[in-house]
Amino acid sequence: MEKRTNSPFPRRDRPLLAVIGIVLVVPTVLIAMSERAHDWRYWQYEFKQQVTAKYGRDKAAAIPGGLQQIWLPELKRADRCVTCHQATSWKGFENAEEPLRTHPVEVLRQHPVEKYGCTVCHGGQPHAVDAEEAHGGGEHWEEPLLGAQLGADYTLAVEDKSALMQMNCNTCHRYDRETKGASEINLAKKLVREKGCRACHVVNGRGGSIGPDLTYEGDKAAEQFEYGRLNGQKSSFAWHVAHLKDPRALAPETVMPNFHLSTREAQAIAMMVLSWKRQPVPSAYLAGAPRTDPQTKEEVEAEARMKTGPGAWFVKTGCFVCHSISALGVTSPAQIGPDLSIAVDDVQSRFGRTLEDFLREPTGTMSVVLSRQIILSPEEKAVAVQKLHEAFAEHQKQKAQSHEGAKP
Amino acid sequence: MANEEEIVPTEAPGVHKRRFWSFRPQSDRQAGDAIVANFILHWFPAKALKDSLSWNYSMWLGTISTALLGLLIVSGLPLMFLHIPSVERAYASVKDIEYVVTFGSWLRSVHRLSAHLMVAAVFLHLVRVFLTGAYKNGVGRGQRREWNWVIGVGMLLVTLFLSFTGYLLPWDQLAYWAITVGTNIASSVPVIGERVRELLLGGRVIDQPTLIRFYALHIVVLPGLLGVLFAYHMWRIRKDGGLARADRVAAQKRTEVPTVKTKTYTLLGIARGTSPNLRAYSVEPSDVSVNSIPDLTRRICIVMMGTIAVIAALAAVVRSPLEEPANPLVTPNPAKAPWYFLWLQELVTDTTIKIGGFTINGAFVGGVLLPGLLVGVLVLWPWLDKSPASATGTWLPRSRRRQNAVFLIICALVLVLTFIGTFCRGPYWHLFWPWQPWPQLPTRI
Repeated sequence: MEKRTNSPFPRRDRPLLAVIGIVLVVPTVLIAMSERAHDWRYWQYEFKQQVTAKYGRDKAAAIPGGLQQIWLPELKRADRCVTCHQATSWKGFENAEEPLRTHPVEVLRQHPVEKYGCTVCHGGQPHAVDAEEAHGGGEHWEEPLLGAQLGADYTLAVEDKSALMQMNCNTCHRYDRETKGASEINLAKKLVREKGCRACHVVNGRGGSIGPDLTYEGDKAAEQFEYGRLNGQKSSFAWHVAHLKDPRALAPETVMPNFHLSTREAQAIAMMVLSWKRQPVPSAYLAGAPRTDPQTKEEVEAEARMKTGPGAWFVKTGCFVCHSISALGVTSPAQIGPDLSIAVDDVQSRFGRTLEDFLREPTGTMSVVLSRQIILSPEEKAVAVQKLHEAFAEHQKQKAQSHEGAKP
Repeated sequence: MANEEEIVPTEAPGVHKRRFWSFRPQSDRQAGDAIVANFILHWFPAKALKDSLSWNYSMWLGTISTALLGLLIVSGLPLMFLHIPSVERAYASVKDIEYVVTFGSWLRSVHRLSAHLMVAAVFLHLVRVFLTGAYKNGVGRGQRREWNWVIGVGMLLVTLFLSFTGYLLPWDQLAYWAITVGTNIASSVPVIGERVRELLLGGRVIDQPTLIRFYALHIVVLPGLLGVLFAYHMWRIRKDGGLARADRVAAQKRTEVPTVKTKTYTLLGIARGTSPNLRAYSVEPSDVSVNSIPDLTRRICIVMMGTIAVIAALAAVVRSPLEEPANPLVTPNPAKAPWYFLWLQELVTDTTIKIGGFTINGAFVGGVLLPGLLVGVLVLWPWLDKSPASATGTWLPRSRRRQNAVFLIICALVLVLTFIGTFCRGPYWHLFWPWQPWPQLPTRI
């Protein structure tokens, strides 16, 4: 056997290696434990218990477990609130304690949760799954949950302490004159009209230039306000409320008059002003956004003439979408079908049937249109026949006139 | 077939019969074989000097740095699968890592803490090498330790840049403004500064091109560069005859091993002559050396596992910060560079001089000239250092007292400035005591 050099190291190093191996177990246990410790596990268990008690085991078994989220690609967010708030769409938990309470039904009907999620209206942090951080209590999240707690902290003058949420209503409903359920925002909009804010300020793109443009006032960072003369909490909201109630108290140089607003009025306007952000709202979510092409003045006038003139009946029923009735002054924007001024004659020559007969039992394209899109009662069909005869008479009259005019 | 013969393979030369190398060699020869047969271990000598293995000579800072680098790679790989390097989605993907990915928050903490500690460990390694004069050539012929020092300084710079590029990836306010401050300092280099900044950012402002450039640098270019430098760094240690400590041992034991003029450059001894009949000498007498397997490998294990244990435990307790999403319109107050650049930011402040209404911006002096000078002197120092070869591989020798003192004073200044920048600078860059609360900053709602 060859020799092996003696070494002093094993005696000292082996126990050390063993100790470090044991030490490595500690963080492993710590991590595994912290990964399990989430309140949502408790709430999901609790909800299952309650559903079992109320509706039986089968219903409870169908409740999905684990992390839940509503993924809203257009709004670029995944709302994980429903991981704890599982009862939102369940009947029978209307009076339960949060987080296991039913959501008021009426609002959800107009804002389906699959399309809107939670945080666009309520605020809070969509990514988080622990109450404190999800409700925006954590550091570095600028949109806290706009709930009754926060409203109470601000001593909102209005009865409904969760009114701060209306700020988020106005992100989409900014151009509404009045929004159902947004009492404070409606009040603020009314005050803007009554107090004449636009005399000095640009509001929603229109107004005077004495004061600053307020169109995107909500984008201003909190640090951009001067808090030197503001007592109490330092926030954009608090600054606006104080400034609205007495502008000179915060900015002695200002020419903005004191409107002697009540606390509720000042808070309402502050909420609205903070909602004026340059936030990109997908067009499908924007209330009151024009969804038609703008028309020229001439086009608008021509449309009004058609709607009130002798051919109004054809405009109202929608025939004019494809057909012009030139004798009655109706011009179709598409002109896919033939001019109905000569229909009485035209139908006879094309189909070998009378107009009355054809309208009763149409063939080809008209059979599709009259059975699916424009559905006329027999009485209405009679009116149509009568009007078309009038149109034909008018057409022949116009033709004769133009011939006479051409002769001499 | 019926007459099928069982083929017994003959023993081919060079084929290693065991599946693994031997952890418990029965003889010196087996210990040497185990080193030679292993692809990764064969950059180590078969025999290691007891003095080189000692805890309090090298403090194993290089090994700790390597362990941290390994942790960074291992924790960085899963993060690569989870992080989306896009301006629109990076922030949300990091939030997902924090909140819903299993062990995600811990993984991110491991990566972040390893990165911060690696900057510290590499810096301390450099300090150790300076104070022990380990960049000096000792008694061996053909030693080029000064070049390994230069590579080491390069590796420190790459480590800093790696950490800096990783800073941007979460795309939060911290990231955005730290990179703003950092690249603004770089832009104060005369003539080329603006262009360097533009090249780095892929434009004039920090946006998607910046994010993708930093991402590519962070995950491919810089780790690759560091890997190449690391391999060369290790190879050079072997070529220079091991740690500088070895030169000291050799100088003392010289009389006992008269045939040996240099330290080992080969695996088991030194081969001389060209005839096939080689004579090999065991270089290290057994009273000063031990077998690398298992004594060196065991200690490496201890150091690496210890580092992993410390990081794993720290990461379970310390969470990584993630501020508001990056917002170019709102500057946080105060806006700070990464902590290891805060001594520079502090220098910039301190060299900005106001005379009446006239301001001399310190960005060039404090941000470029002074640190540039420091790095330049650091690189050239092995050639400027005229201390005797006997001062190699020993802590704070008498003959290097003055240069060690100057070096330590500079290090202390850097650390003090870093401390002030990190803990004593508050809103508007005003000075605060670390325990003094900052004035409350306003919030939106």
